[in-house]
Amino acid sequence: MFYDILVYGFIQSAALILMAFGFSLVYGVSRLPNFAHGAIYVFTGFIAWALFNTVGLPYWLSVLLSILASGGIGVLIYYVILRRVRGMEVSEVIATYAIGLVFLEGLRYAGFRGGTYTLPVASDGVSFIFDVPVDHQRVLLMILGFAMVALIWLLTKYTRMGRALKGMAQDERAAMMLGIDSDATAAVAVALGSMLAGVAALIIFPLGSLVVEEGYKVLIYAIAVCVVGGLGSWAGTVIAAFVLGYSQYMTVAYGKPHFQMVVMLLAIIATLIVRPSGFFGKQKQLEERV
Amino acid sequence: MLEARAVMVFYENMLALNNVNITCPDDGVIGVFGANSAGKSTLMYALSGIILDIQHKERMRGGERITLFGEVVHDGEDITKLKAHQRARRGLVLCPERRRLFPESSVAENLSIGGHLATRAEAKETFDFVMDLFPALKKLTRRAAGFLSGGEQQMVAIGRALMAQPKLLLLDEPLLGLAPSIQHTVVESIPHIRNEREISVIVTEQYARPVIPYVDYAYIVENGSTVMEGTREELLGNPDIKAAYFGCG
Repeated sequence: MFYDILVYGFIQSAALILMAFGFSLVYGVSRLPNFAHGAIYVFTGFIAWALFNTVGLPYWLSVLLSILASGGIGVLIYYVILRRVRGMEVSEVIATYAIGLVFLEGLRYAGFRGGTYTLPVASDGVSFIFDVPVDHQRVLLMILGFAMVALIWLLTKYTRMGRALKGMAQDERAAMMLGIDSDATAAVAVALGSMLAGVAALIIFPLGSLVVEEGYKVLIYAIAVCVVGGLGSWAGTVIAAFVLGYSQYMTVAYGKPHFQMVVMLLAIIATLIVRPSGFFGKQKQLEERV
Repeated sequence: MLEARAVMVFYENMLALNNVNITCPDDGVIGVFGANSAGKSTLMYALSGIILDIQHKERMRGGERITLFGEVVHDGEDITKLKAHQRARRGLVLCPERRRLFPESSVAENLSIGGHLATRAEAKETFDFVMDLFPALKKLTRRAAGFLSGGEQQMVAIGRALMAQPKLLLLDEPLLGLAPSIQHTVVESIPHIRNEREISVIVTEQYARPVIPYVDYAYIVENGSTVMEGTREELLGNPDIKAAYFGCG
């Protein structure tokens, strides 16, 4: 039982990192809370499904194209809508949430309902970690969860665009003074965030089936992780994903699976009462006071 | 050459800059002196284009209404409507008041983010120049910028602005809050920047004395208007100015 919790809690945490990291990246760089995050997650899954089943492309190509498409959707959303409301906090939330509704309810309206849509798993095999059986899709999930974090970290360290993201995240106006285009960089952030949501979808969806409701669930999970970790803090996101991932798996192991969502919502409420800036939001909170 | 022609800035109904005309020739070092809230920073924001971002953000959040008049001309082109990053691409780089470093990034990373517009070769060459200009930074390259002292931060801020390959560097109150010995190191860098990099400089300061030996020409700003201008010798020769801004009778 102990190893069970250790391994599957870890998997749940990696899944949360995948779901939340894109949200955190977008907020960190552009201060835009992307409430369409969950919708992009679901939509990417359906694009891959359509390319694979309807168009008949090979699966690897469908995956690649759908992730690129999610990035494109991100850029489009930024330039068509978000750029106009950026800086108006309430409108940011309303606009992004509305975009999310359009995607999710549009899919539902188009008839994508129920559990009949599935994506194939990468491999049917099973590995044993500490004698706990883990299927290969979940092994892939763990690896990719951390690979994505590492990739973004390398990007911010070694590429010009990545450094611009990092500069913007810390002080937008100072970045502008150095010639960094705030709009272009924010669009890149939204695109990267959407692609991360896409990657998460294509790894996590094969474990179950493609359902529209997942979009709302993923959005709440991402917000919970980011609020607990401190909005915009990448280290906070990873640590909060572990805290919440393990708490979620414990509720599954000792309680009932449908309490998973309760854990997340309670975590948001508790964080907002006890420590509104989250684990790593201290500096930002200070800034707001000054 | 950079020219501000009849620049006026209103914050709501408050006149922050009133009909300001300033010229900075290529290779010149221009001083702008004035008390707190005289409009020095607003002038720097107007020259660098940051004022457009402030205006936009205030409008978006329903805050202060900022109104701009006049024009800013750079090398014969009207750049009044250009955004800050576009002006930076033209070589107009602001090193802001209170430095605004990236606090979580190391000194080296602050500089490399500053090199956004530089080619790889330019970035490397400028990095070496900055290290020669401020040898104190050599030991600190891995330290997070937020943990540096004020003087060290100011050096990093100037270095970071230089990494953007400016043709004209706008230094907004570089000596604010620094100990006199550090002030000396910072102002000493101005002639090096001008002579070795052929960068013209506009420097603002509340207190003119440490800076005046390094400027060719200076403006005195009071309540948003330029009340006096002249070459260094002219200003030093004026007893009123001397008493008010240079602190010696």
